[in-house]
Amino acid sequence: MQYLSDFANLLIPLLLLLAGYGAGRLAERRHYRSILRREDELGDLIIVVSKTLPLSMPASDTCLVMGSVVISVDYFKRFVAQLRMVFGGRVHTYESLLDRGRREALLRMQKQARALGAATIFNTRFETSSISKGSKNSIGSVEVLAYGTAVIP
Amino acid sequence: MKFKNVKVPEGINVSRHSPFVDFLILSSGIVSGFAVLAAGLLFLGSALARHTPVSWENALVAMLFENQESAVDSHTAETVGALQALADRLSAHIDLPEGLAVTVHFWDDDQINAFAALGGHIFVARGLLERMPNENALAMVMAHEIAHLAHRDPAAALGGVVLLQLLLAVTLDSAPTSLEQLITGPNALLLSGFSRETERRADVSGLAAIAALYGHVAEADKIFEVFLEQPEPPELLSTHPLSRDRIDGIAALARAKGWALDGPRTPLAPALVDPPAAAR
Repeated sequence: MQYLSDFANLLIPLLLLLAGYGAGRLAERRHYRSILRREDELGDLIIVVSKTLPLSMPASDTCLVMGSVVISVDYFKRFVAQLRMVFGGRVHTYESLLDRGRREALLRMQKQARALGAATIFNTRFETSSISKGSKNSIGSVEVLAYGTAVIP
Repeated sequence: MKFKNVKVPEGINVSRHSPFVDFLILSSGIVSGFAVLAAGLLFLGSALARHTPVSWENALVAMLFENQESAVDSHTAETVGALQALADRLSAHIDLPEGLAVTVHFWDDDQINAFAALGGHIFVARGLLERMPNENALAMVMAHEIAHLAHRDPAAALGGVVLLQLLLAVTLDSAPTSLEQLITGPNALLLSGFSRETERRADVSGLAAIAALYGHVAEADKIFEVFLEQPEPPELLSTHPLSRDRIDGIAALARAKGWALDGPRTPLAPALVDPPAAAR
C-alpha cells in the first residue's frame, strides 16, 4: 500500500503538469486567435490615454466604460514560474498571462463603448490585481481592469 | 489632431520562449544544485561526526534504546561470550578511540552477515557463523567490523544522514517531529551502507589486526570466497567492493606488508561451532 501511495504522490503532480501543459497551450492559442480577430473588428474604435479631448472633437455625451477579465495560468506554467523564483530572471511563463489579460480587458472595454455608440475612449487606464494573493503556492490568477471615458459623438 | 489605433506588435511584451525549455533548464539546475548540496552536506556531516566525542555517540544510543531491555538469553549466552572474547583479543590490536567499548551481539538470522552499529555494537548473524570453517576466517570479519568502529564509520554515516534529513525537511517542508524520526527517517537506509573507500580502509585495519594476532593472514579472504559461492551477492554488500577485488586486495596488501599468507589455523571455540538457532 505504501508503494501505491508513493506512486500516486509522484504520478498525480506529473499528470497535472502534463495536463496543464496540454490544456494551457490549447487555451492560450485559442485565446490569442480570438484576441487577434476581435482586435481587427474593433480596431476603428480609438483608444487614447490623454485626459483631455481636443477642442476640435465634437462630444455630445461621455460615459465611463470598463472591461474586466480574470484569467489564470495553467499548472505547468505556474510550476515553471515557481522554479524561476529560485534563480530569478524574467518569468516568461507569466508574460503571456498578463498580455492576454490586458488585451482582453481592452477589448471588453471597447465592446461596451461600441454598444454605446462611442467612437473614441479617452483617459484609458489599467488596474491589475492578483486574485489569489495570500493563499499558499497560488499566484496564478490575475484580474485586469481597463477603464476610460467613452466619447459619444 | 488625429488619433488612430495601431496593431499590437507581437513578440515584445511576450517573449517567444518555450515554457518547456524553461522547465528543462530550471529543473535540471535545481536537481543538480540539490545534488551538490546534498553531497556536500553528507560529506560535511560525516567529517564532523567522526570528530565528535565517543561519549556523545554512547549517550545517543542510550537515549534511543533506553526502553529496550538487554535481557541475557541463556540460550545464546555462551556463543555471545565466545564472540566477545574474540572481539576483545582483536580490539587489543586495533586503535580504538577512547571511551569506545566493543559489544558483540549474536543475531539469529540465516544471512551471511555482520555489521557495526552506533555505540560500539557489532552484530554477527548465525548464517555467517555457520559458514566459518575456523577462527581465522571469523576473526577477519570481526576485525573488519571493529575497524569500522575504530574509524567511527557508523557515527560518520549517521552525521551525514542527519544533515541530509535536515535539508530534506527544509526543502520538502516536512519537519521531523522527533530525534528518532530524524535519524530513522526515509534515508535511514543509507546507514546500512558505507562507501567503498570506507570498506577498503576497514579491510586494511582489520587485516593488520589479524596479522598481529595470529602472525599470518591465512583465511582472511575466506568470507569473500563464501560470498562468491553464493548464487546472488547478499543485498547489504552492494556497496562493498567486489569480492574478487577484495581477495586480490588482501593478497596484495599482505605481500606489501610482508605478512605471511599461510600459517596454522585456529579452530573455532566450541560455542561457535554449532550456533544456537531459536527456530530449530
